[in-house]
Amino acid sequence: MQIQVIIDSAVEEIGQTLLGKEPQIRLALCCLFARGHLLIEDLPGMGKTTLSHALAAVLGLSWKRVQFTSDLLPADILGVSVFDANKSSFNFHPGPIFTQLLLADEINRTTPRTQSALLEAMAEGQVTVEGETRPLPQPFFVIATQNPIHQSGTYPLPESQLDRFLMRLELGYPPPRAEREMLERRHSAALEIKQPRHCIDLDQLEMIRVAVSQVHASENLLDYLQRLVAYTRQSAEFEVGLSPRGALALLDCAKTWAAMHNRGHVVPEDVQFVLPAVAGHRLIPSGDYAGDGHALVDLLQRNVDIVGS
Amino acid sequence: MSTLQQIPRNALVWIIISLFALVAPHASRLPIWILALYAVAVIWRLQVHRGRWSFPGRWVKVVMILSGFVGIYASYGSFVGLEPTVALLLIAFALKLLELSHRKDAYVLLFLGYFICLTQFLFSQDLLVTLYALVSVTVVTTALVAIHRPGEHQFKLGTLHVASVMLLQALPLMIVLFFLFPRFGPLWTVPIKNHTAKTGMSDFMKPGDVASLSQSADVAFRVKFDGEIPVKSALYWRGLVLSRIEQGVWSALSFYDLPANQLRPQEVIIGGEPIRYNVIMEPTQQRWLYGLKYARSDTRTVMQASDFRLFSPTLIETEFMYTVDSWTDVPVEETLSDWRRTTETQLPPTGNAKTRKLSLELREEAGSNAAFVDLVLDRFRVEPYVYTLRPGLLPEEDSIDAFLFQSQRGFCEHYASAFVFMMRAAGVPARVVAGYQGGEINPVNKTVIVHQFDAHAWAEVWLASRGWVRVDPTAAISPLRIEFGLEEAMASEGSFLSAMLLSPARYRSIPLLNLLRLRYDALTYRWQTWVVGFDSERQFNLLRSFFGETTAKAFAILLLGSWALVLLPVAISLFRAPDIEPVRPLAKHYRIFCKRLARLDLIRGAGETPSQFAQRVAEEFPDYAEQLWQITDLYNQLAYADAQRSAGNAAQNLQHFARVINRFRPKRRSAVLMTRAER
Repeated sequence: MQIQVIIDSAVEEIGQTLLGKEPQIRLALCCLFARGHLLIEDLPGMGKTTLSHALAAVLGLSWKRVQFTSDLLPADILGVSVFDANKSSFNFHPGPIFTQLLLADEINRTTPRTQSALLEAMAEGQVTVEGETRPLPQPFFVIATQNPIHQSGTYPLPESQLDRFLMRLELGYPPPRAEREMLERRHSAALEIKQPRHCIDLDQLEMIRVAVSQVHASENLLDYLQRLVAYTRQSAEFEVGLSPRGALALLDCAKTWAAMHNRGHVVPEDVQFVLPAVAGHRLIPSGDYAGDGHALVDLLQRNVDIVGS
Repeated sequence: MSTLQQIPRNALVWIIISLFALVAPHASRLPIWILALYAVAVIWRLQVHRGRWSFPGRWVKVVMILSGFVGIYASYGSFVGLEPTVALLLIAFALKLLELSHRKDAYVLLFLGYFICLTQFLFSQDLLVTLYALVSVTVVTTALVAIHRPGEHQFKLGTLHVASVMLLQALPLMIVLFFLFPRFGPLWTVPIKNHTAKTGMSDFMKPGDVASLSQSADVAFRVKFDGEIPVKSALYWRGLVLSRIEQGVWSALSFYDLPANQLRPQEVIIGGEPIRYNVIMEPTQQRWLYGLKYARSDTRTVMQASDFRLFSPTLIETEFMYTVDSWTDVPVEETLSDWRRTTETQLPPTGNAKTRKLSLELREEAGSNAAFVDLVLDRFRVEPYVYTLRPGLLPEEDSIDAFLFQSQRGFCEHYASAFVFMMRAAGVPARVVAGYQGGEINPVNKTVIVHQFDAHAWAEVWLASRGWVRVDPTAAISPLRIEFGLEEAMASEGSFLSAMLLSPARYRSIPLLNLLRLRYDALTYRWQTWVVGFDSERQFNLLRSFFGETTAKAFAILLLGSWALVLLPVAISLFRAPDIEPVRPLAKHYRIFCKRLARLDLIRGAGETPSQFAQRVAEEFPDYAEQLWQITDLYNQLAYADAQRSAGNAAQNLQHFARVINRFRPKRRSAVLMTRAER
């Protein structure tokens, strides 16, 4: 089956529950196809959790949800060994992290200690509990949601942890027409809000990944990527530029994006499309630059030459 | 305003520091109101930075500029000359601070700063001044570095470090340029220092002149002997010969006073080994030079006058070095011309009757001219004459009578003047010689430092078969002055440099201070010989000693070659820089396409992808849409698609692309719109 068809059906399926957010849904899928973890950031009630649930359902993965609170401990996520009196031995009770898709709700409500417990799992695909390293099931995704940092009762994620999320998405308010449709549906209780159908199985996921690995990135395109990265490191507006990991993330996402559109090669439009989601949370404006991450991405998109000399 | 155009706070602080650093060496020469202007400008700019005040409006600026001009004219009385022009430049520099809002203003200000840094050399080329100039260059460079570092909103001393490292890297080039850069003559002349006083001796002498000169501890000149330094009492540095007396004032003969046949000095038969030495004059704004009798110089610009003194045809405006050979024992001008005899025995017709009478009596008694000289000196020695810096006032009329018979207190010029008067009164040719006597021997580098307080006046008497003979009446009265110098001679009176409390020469009795002073002086000597005195002649000699005879062509090759040698490592390191992108021919062709589209007044933004650009152009000019998309698709294909999978080889594809672009020749925007309007 054509990749595009699979993806279109998945997008349509998720679009049933999250109205008017097609670009974000596509980016979220792109992130998961590129084997990355996804961070969704927005104000409460914008559909963060809805999106993550829908993604889990569409991919048909085993998933667990952890609501992060300020008193959550690492053991609550990773698991704990309990003494079994009958067998006179310790039994490991795996935590919710032993799943294919972990929904970490409101990740910035918990303490840095618990946040960093996720770190190893996200980076290595394994966890170490009580000195023993245990592999996590494959595939393993983390979809985390968080409230904007300036909200009270939050512990901002450190840059090192932000960097481990391949993409950060912001949902924003729905367009008026989509919001109207949402209101009408709630009004007419007749239309049941149905759970999204499972439409991408593991084989198809694998097929997409193979397709992604075959996408060609030409010299010209890599030049453009390098110019982008160099710009963030040299220009005065940036306190911190893109790391080599950031550059790799950008390439991976652009390739995935190209594959999702049935193209065998990456074009600059792919890079530009994924750029805000991939680079936005990795760039820090310098002290006297008035703009935020969005403005920085905008600078990149406008000022970095695509054609080169 | 983009952040790139802003001036970071760190840079502003450094700009203000460099402002003060640059005006400081001029401070003593400037009227006080210019310094006040600097304070006002800085405060104003800081208030602007804090957001309290705003930049001055146009009319305020015009008023400030005009009042600057008026102020200069009021303070200096002219706009011409070095000091008013430098002052004007400094005013402009301060006022530019009030326009400092963008980075480009800072460029103007700082590059002007480098120029201002140079202007201090117009006043002095002293070692300390040079060291200070290096400091100010570093500060200005620091400010220049700081404006290129946006986002530094705190004062950072580390910027200084960066600038220092940069300047140190420039050091090799500086040294190469110093030795090899051609020394041109001045390309233009400015009336330099028309407001600066002339220093040292003047070409006339009235009682009190030398005494007032001896209140100064400034250095007159330095001498380096090739061999042993002669004893101090033999160091009579002849500068001026004063042959004419009018109303008690001795003056030198000017060029126009001499008859044509007297212009050249008489030939002197020299014999024996000369004393050879180099003299480095401090600037005097005068022409005369100093040497031991009988002096000849082989420096090109030193000339000899008919009274055997040395002089320079141009004013000594900077440190000036010349070489002298002296034969101290040879007779000079053995035969005296009639004109010379008349001139050197001339006295005013009347006045000082008692002196004239005494003179004739003594001549009668002596029998010969030589004995007469001894008799007069004996009289100075026996009678209670006092050598003093505080001789008291003498009457205008018959001042020599008053000095010889009543006050009997005087300084060297009194004794020399009275002695020569007595000689001439008896018909013996005699004249006053003004110059310096003795000097301080610097043990550090074996030079003789002659200060202004070594100024002296003595006499020369012409004796048959011996020529002009030096006679110093002061030596008869105060042998200490000649043996040990003025300080010893005035020890009991306590009047040595009494008005110069801060002069280091006054504290010669403190060993450590004295050693420091002498060391610094030795350094100054070296500086003057090797750096300030490094002119085209020395440069040429140096090159010749290394490379043999040099032609202009060889010199040019050497110059360029050495630059290349210094710059080569820099170039290599730049070439090895890893992040230089190769030029992609495809991009070059695409840029040609973009240039063609510029005729339609459509410019691709840097971040605009080729497809987006094509879309935009096609919407506005649908006529070209087909060609546009053909080119854009081809470009996208070649630039981004997998080359291995696409058909044809790379070179052919590129050629094809170039051909397609070559066929695309859009008309000018106006032409297209015109045809559209006609339709």
